[in-house]
Amino acid sequence: MTLADDNGPEPEGDDLFAAEYVLGVLDADEREIASRRIDADAAFAHLVDAWEVHLSPMIAACPETEPPIRVKEAIDSRLFVAEPRAGLWSSLAFWRGLAAAAVAALAIYVAVPYLNPPLEQPRLVASLAADGSDVRYLVVYDAADREVGLSHVSGERAAGKDFELWMIEGKNTPVSMGVIPAGQTAHMTIAPAVQEKLARGAVLAVSLEPAGGSPTGQPTGPVVAAGDLKGI
Amino acid sequence: MTPRDISNLIVRTSMKDRAAFDLLYRQTSAKLFGVCLRVLKDRGDAEEALQEVFVKIWTKADRFAVSELSPISWLVAIARNHAIDRIRARREPAAYIDAALDVADPAAGPEAAAVAGGESGRIHHCLDELEKDRAAAVRGAYLDGESYADLAARHGVPLNTMRTWLRRSLLKLRECLER
Repeated sequence: MTLADDNGPEPEGDDLFAAEYVLGVLDADEREIASRRIDADAAFAHLVDAWEVHLSPMIAACPETEPPIRVKEAIDSRLFVAEPRAGLWSSLAFWRGLAAAAVAALAIYVAVPYLNPPLEQPRLVASLAADGSDVRYLVVYDAADREVGLSHVSGERAAGKDFELWMIEGKNTPVSMGVIPAGQTAHMTIAPAVQEKLARGAVLAVSLEPAGGSPTGQPTGPVVAAGDLKGI
Repeated sequence: MTPRDISNLIVRTSMKDRAAFDLLYRQTSAKLFGVCLRVLKDRGDAEEALQEVFVKIWTKADRFAVSELSPISWLVAIARNHAIDRIRARREPAAYIDAALDVADPAAGPEAAAVAGGESGRIHHCLDELEKDRAAAVRGAYLDGESYADLAARHGVPLNTMRTWLRRSLLKLRECLER
């Protein structure tokens, strides 16, 4: 039996071929042919959709199951890892090194103005620094205020450039928290989704970006400071 | 999330909006993982399938605009079709028939029992109007990814007979659903 015998150009043949595709009984080659026709032939795609509408209630009651986190990580690395600088940003060794540096620096910078009143809401602090850079920030995240306070310790931005703050959770790609306003101290409001991740202890990093921030939504310039949040 | 919210996320994903894609994943991955598991019955396999399904959603989200399906049905169709393609690709012909013989009768599956009314109820009502072994063959194909060859082996009939059975069953099923 061949496809031509059963699925000629006559409309009924197409309708049955669409039904068989949706039902799932075709072999690999036939499915490949059907799938190409769906992309190329709107009338055939319409037949397939109509059968999907008829049959899809069969699977509607299928129970939900939470996939493990590694699935999303694998998807992200397949889709997004080719972006500029991704090699450095996704390197675990790089972040571990930075985290170790930040812990060493923490003793020095967990300092004066933030430590005064005892608080019930979690408060996290990070010292952001990196080898080969004189840029240092002290960051305090206050869950109650839903903002981070930044104290600019040292290092100047180049003319026409901005510092942008990023959050990195695990091996995920960085999420921008915004351009750091110029000045000795700055406050930045934190989106709710980012708050949750911060509370669980994410890594923060500062990159040098064109004025106004990264045009791509991902870091494009060098990382000038980084560190992870610690409870105080 | 309403269907409209999901549509919105799919459309934004087609414009390569990563935040929308991440949210779409959070909102729908449990559903689509359930579908992959249901068809593939193997966690490792289902995890790989889910990865590929979301890669497909990222690259082909623009196709949603020309589909007539609801957003969830569209996503579920991608997941189920991908899982079936995977079954076709993975099996050696010999293993294939053994595996088909091992599968329990899907007519007694949880879907059939769990369904109370509405659209889901209707399809099961219409399946019940078919002869029992033909309804089982329809479910085996749709939910377990069994091919004509699998089904012919399991039901002990020639492949052409199975093809005729299923085609007639599909037309009867549609006639019942449109009644």
